[in-house]
Amino acid sequence: MGKRACWLPARDSVQKRNLMPRSLTLPFELRLASTFLLLSVAARAQSADAAKQTELIQQLLQRIDKLETRVTELESVRPAQLVERAPAAAAATPEIAAATPAAGAGHDHGTPIEAQTSYPSLKLSGFGDINYSASDQKGTHSGFNEGQFVLHISSALSPHVTYFGELSLTARTDAGTGSPPAPGFNAEVERSIIRYDQSDHFKLSFGRYHTPISYWNTEFHHGLWLQTTAERPEMIEFGGSFIPIHFVGALAEGAFSAGGLNLNYNVGIGNGRSSVLSRSGDWGDVNNNKAWLTTVFIKPDKLYGLQLGGSLYRDKIDATGRPEAYEWIESAHVVWTKESPEFIAEFFNISHQQPGSSVVTNNQAWYAQVAYRLPMAERWKPYYRYEYIHTPLADVIFRGLNLGLSGSTFGVRYDISSFAAFKFEWRNQNRPGLPTINLAWAQTDFTF
Amino acid sequence: MRPVKTFILSLLFLACAAASPVAIVVSPDVPVDEITFSEVRKLFLGERQFWNPNLRVVLLMRAPVAPERDVVLRTIYQMSEAQFRQYWISKVFRADVSSGPKIVYSTEMANDLVTAIPGAVAFIDAAQIPKGLKVLKIDGKLPGDKTYPLR
Repeated sequence: MGKRACWLPARDSVQKRNLMPRSLTLPFELRLASTFLLLSVAARAQSADAAKQTELIQQLLQRIDKLETRVTELESVRPAQLVERAPAAAAATPEIAAATPAAGAGHDHGTPIEAQTSYPSLKLSGFGDINYSASDQKGTHSGFNEGQFVLHISSALSPHVTYFGELSLTARTDAGTGSPPAPGFNAEVERSIIRYDQSDHFKLSFGRYHTPISYWNTEFHHGLWLQTTAERPEMIEFGGSFIPIHFVGALAEGAFSAGGLNLNYNVGIGNGRSSVLSRSGDWGDVNNNKAWLTTVFIKPDKLYGLQLGGSLYRDKIDATGRPEAYEWIESAHVVWTKESPEFIAEFFNISHQQPGSSVVTNNQAWYAQVAYRLPMAERWKPYYRYEYIHTPLADVIFRGLNLGLSGSTFGVRYDISSFAAFKFEWRNQNRPGLPTINLAWAQTDFTF
Repeated sequence: MRPVKTFILSLLFLACAAASPVAIVVSPDVPVDEITFSEVRKLFLGERQFWNPNLRVVLLMRAPVAPERDVVLRTIYQMSEAQFRQYWISKVFRADVSSGPKIVYSTEMANDLVTAIPGAVAFIDAAQIPKGLKVLKIDGKLPGDKTYPLR
């Protein structure tokens, strides 16, 4: 009992707070029933006398009371019971089920309610993908590929301290070879971060990160289900050498409203690249020059969905088999995060300069991706991406890695459920001095 | 005249019933009385996580199929249910937050928990606001105002 239509006579204790004119809202079923009853009154009113009308109104009020009681009962039904009673609501059941205490921790879009938060509060989720690919590249074979098995751990240690971890298992190409035989999978601690949140303006963390100089690198991580496409742009692919994908060190971050621009920042210091270009200095730094980075991006209130930003990164590289060199990375991104359309574009410029030399070489890379969630078939999301990487022959760090690329990716994503998707891609890749490669790729990815 | 009057009343009723304002309620210890719509969006997107350095925002969401949830998804998030789920999974995976919103199953449960949990914020049917809960003005407007944004 808590609802009244604005045309009904005033009654006791209905309006608990005087915030609106006598309850403007009614459940849909009640509105419908009441409307029919009202129209019924209108039809009868022409011939009935006043006494009958009063009696009729009393009967109607009693009936509305019963309906309200029924609505209250229905609203208080537990979700599991709702699922049983309303198969039509099946699309919503995963979240409801995950949110029920009996179902355990559930996914983090809806956690079981606890009035008293206990610490530590460990939560576990995961991602996986299975792939099939075929290519016209000589020497390759078509076939299935088990993608990464990823576990994500988060745990609040106190109201201000949180731990995040990400573990991956990746199939090895040399499994079973060598002595002792190589294992079937590589285990990797992708991220391990402990963070102190002082406020929204200042959060300080330490650990191993995905280097926050690329939107894609920090937005999607190893959860392929989160990204629209089957694969990342090559300039930021895992195990790649173009930008440093991981960063070990300390990071300060925060956000300010900045007059509706919503300015976010990251400032970090860490080990930078290790003696292997594609790896971070997990065990320590290769020199005494610390890498540092700063990232700034805005998300304007007036253009909800837009994100614009840029980054600077500085390191001294001391990689095996390559000369020492200073490295500057400048990057910028423009993103429209909604799905109809979705747009992501990033640009990178990486400069290398040997100590004592005046020669600076610039390596550029960029990509632009557009996708569109079809309004009449929302499970389908076609996409296209163009990506380009240029590394000059004079560059002393990237020389011999053959990173140059001009490639297109066409594809479509089909969401099987709220937590799993199929992706079908065709890729065309052109590299300097090499034949064009066409690649067909099918993937199913999911979160659990 | 009577049929005309009844018809007009019927239309008025339908107009009233069609608009279903949703109130943003917070626990009494929250040091805020009025916020902008943009700030409401930041709260519900998990981008504002603190009321002040000593009080963290605890976001309560109604379970799916609740009409109030539909209003919030449509007006604040501008997302479908699937997009909403992916948004929070992604946010946790990015390490922005350690967990997503806490799910409540009824208006009564939301009321009880907003009262019990420091820093809690929830949205409920404006017709069912109990005494003792603080209702936030949005851009200076309460749920009864004609230009109130959450309906």
